[in-house]
Amino acid sequence: MGNEEEEEELVAEVEAVEAVYGTDCVLLSSFPPHFHLFLKPRTADVSSQQFVEAVLEIRATSQYPKEPPSIELVDCKGLDEQRQKHLLNYIQSKAREISPCLMLVALCEEAVEKLSAMNHPDGDCPLCLFPLVPEDQQSESLPFMKLMSCFHCFHSECIIRWWKWLQNSKESDSANTDSTAAHRNQDKHKKMEESVGNCPVCRKPFLAKDLDHVLALVGSYSSQLSSDNEELKDEETVLQSEDEMIRRQKFEAILNLQKENSGLIEPKKDIVILPGMYLPQPVAMPSSTPTKESDEQTQNEPPAVVSGKQAGGTSNGASSSRQRNFGPRRQKARSDNHSSSTVRNTRKPVQQWVRRDSPSNKQ
Amino acid sequence: MTSSSGAARKNLSKIACNRLQKELVEWQVNPPTGFKHKVTDNLQRWVVEVIGAPGTLYANETYQLQVDFPENYPMEAPQVIFLHPAPLHPHIYSNGHICLDILYDSWSPAMTVSSICISILSMLSSSTTKQRPEDNDRYVKNCRNGRSPKETRWWFHDDKV
Repeated sequence: MGNEEEEEELVAEVEAVEAVYGTDCVLLSSFPPHFHLFLKPRTADVSSQQFVEAVLEIRATSQYPKEPPSIELVDCKGLDEQRQKHLLNYIQSKAREISPCLMLVALCEEAVEKLSAMNHPDGDCPLCLFPLVPEDQQSESLPFMKLMSCFHCFHSECIIRWWKWLQNSKESDSANTDSTAAHRNQDKHKKMEESVGNCPVCRKPFLAKDLDHVLALVGSYSSQLSSDNEELKDEETVLQSEDEMIRRQKFEAILNLQKENSGLIEPKKDIVILPGMYLPQPVAMPSSTPTKESDEQTQNEPPAVVSGKQAGGTSNGASSSRQRNFGPRRQKARSDNHSSSTVRNTRKPVQQWVRRDSPSNKQ
Repeated sequence: MTSSSGAARKNLSKIACNRLQKELVEWQVNPPTGFKHKVTDNLQRWVVEVIGAPGTLYANETYQLQVDFPENYPMEAPQVIFLHPAPLHPHIYSNGHICLDILYDSWSPAMTVSSICISILSMLSSSTTKQRPEDNDRYVKNCRNGRSPKETRWWFHDDKV
């Protein structure tokens, strides 16, 4: 009789878990309880602010709840080994604490709670090897992004630089008949055509449109980056680069169109020279600007707002304040970088306009 | 643009420099087991000593890897070869060229010198015979003009060794 009651209690408990978690709970057996729980941080409704997720396997023995159930991580994203261990240890210790009381719902809640607290990217950018989120608030904080398919995070400008490099090598390939080079980049070639890339870390395919929102911002990031990090010498080489030539040719075409139409140009191209778009970003993006994507970028202007949010925002409760902090901090980083050349920085946009208006000067 | 071929043809970009310095620091703090970086003042060419893992065919043997970084590292893979004498291995040619996909087609900018070294050691360790690749002579002859392994059209057909 006692046993039956206990069993009924257990079944009711499992039903409760199912009721709370709905489709996130995959029941494998109701007695003894055995199920998979898909864990998301509480803040995960905005997918751009979700940096971690996990699948937890909870498997009770017939001795449950006198004996805590076994708890394993079946799958997870955005958590390195250390953080996986931390999460798992935490839940397991909770289980030991609560035993011998019924614990399934409480345990799941603890897990969600813990995961929510861990909902921030961790570690270094796999491309530049510098921290994604600086530990001390002093150092400059760069916008980062995650790939939606695998949750691997990168500094936005790092992944965009890589993406553009792939596209550039594709372009130079199609121009280049050298069979060796063509072969070497065959895979990349294919990727571009399908608008799919592979995560540099895990090679999981992602859609190019995952990057679009970042590409829309690439102007501000990558141009800032290159003008910040590259020395003047580099800037000069950039000005002579093929990319720059193409960019100038494009601009010249726009300029001619403008002349023909007595000052009017098509709306889409109008965006290209909207001062607001370029003013915050010093020099035209060197290795990055030209050709097709630049059109896409401008077309993608609206998403920029969203992506700004994504790049800045992070975890749960802290996210709103973080976002607020983000702008100023970035600003700070920028001025830090230019501490020796503030004047140059503020003038740059002007230079830029001069250069663009009279491309022949420099060519 | 992709002419990554020869060693150290173009100076490292600023980005490549930053990244390599970071890798070097990381290496000094936490070097991969079985490897020793030979200190030079040349950031663009690393020479790394490899010691065969205990319990493998190459135990206690020491070889030297030469790693040359292209201007656009890590977008482009570094050129990695064994300095003479190269270990006898079914995927290592007598001129030091290594047939390993991650050095060529499967390179990803998320890889590091450290991760390359670990892959190479694992390739050595899993070998069951000490012999040259079947086409060694032909290949080496074709490379006489100083061709970089990055210009080779590699076939990666064997995932066992």
